[in-house]
Amino acid sequence: MMLGLFVILALSSGAMAQNCCSAENGREVQRMWQEVWSAEFTGRRIAVARSVFADLFAAHPGVIPLFARVQGDNVDSPEFRSHCVRVVNALDTSIHMLSSSAVLNKQLEHLSEQHIAREGVKAAHFGALAHSFSRVMPQVTNCFNPSSWENCFNRITNGIAAGLP
Amino acid sequence: ILTMRTLIALVLLGFIATAMADDWFKECGDLQRLKVKQQWAQAFGQGTGRESFGTSLWRNLFKRAPKATELFKRVNGDNVFSNAFQAHIQRVLGGLDMCISLLDDEGTFNAELSHLASQHADRGIAAENYDIFKAALLDVVPDELGSCFDQDAWSDCFDVISTGIKG
Repeated sequence: MMLGLFVILALSSGAMAQNCCSAENGREVQRMWQEVWSAEFTGRRIAVARSVFADLFAAHPGVIPLFARVQGDNVDSPEFRSHCVRVVNALDTSIHMLSSSAVLNKQLEHLSEQHIAREGVKAAHFGALAHSFSRVMPQVTNCFNPSSWENCFNRITNGIAAGLP
Repeated sequence: ILTMRTLIALVLLGFIATAMADDWFKECGDLQRLKVKQQWAQAFGQGTGRESFGTSLWRNLFKRAPKATELFKRVNGDNVFSNAFQAHIQRVLGGLDMCISLLDDEGTFNAELSHLASQHADRGIAAENYDIFKAALLDVVPDELGSCFDQDAWSDCFDVISTGIKG
């Protein structure tokens, strides 16, 4: 009995160690992100965000109508370009906060409320968005580390998707 | 009496003068926009300095206008060091970062400004509060940049952004 409990505990802590966004993971994500992100280079931000959404829309055309208010059917319109900048900017803020967890939690609560207010947005959509990011990031950043990125990206999207259907 | 030809010549001269004014004397012109973008990227930093930069900005702002804390009750404005207000600070800096980064992309810039205008429309923010924010911003950015700070470029370009947010 004791042994069984011990094995389960050992297994579950092993699984947690693999999937949680550790401080080391966070620092590496910040490094990978900083290389592509700077206010000096607007074109980079839009290119990254536009590629992520192009990937998402190609894989899941059903989500396009969720972005009707920002002209999701025309990814080159100023409305959609500014939407791209907002999404990647929120990600930028969150990635930066990986080193201050309590502040990050407040930020994710705020982003979660903003998404609950949008009818049709589902928790599963964030899994799809995560896949698109994982396909785009290695193309633009140096020495991409998928496990660090995914652990911390999930830390952020799990917070945003909390409370979504 | 003006002949038709003189009149046409005068009208043409008028057009040319207007075009020149747009290109050469415009406040927050193309070159100023590039400089503000570069100086902002330097001040906002690549990471570690953002909390202290943002905290300085808001402490400076609330010293100028102590009553402004009341506008931020929802995000714990009476304690700038609280987690809720620190998160708010970074959202504001993020918004400013978006605007500045889009200074050289007019269509997207205008779309973003109208989005921010709609977010601020029903918050009852007096016009003078934008001036206070501007004064605080122009006070703390030079702490990061030293004597290279281009005050005129920042002043002119901040006005373009705040005019857009006021709607």
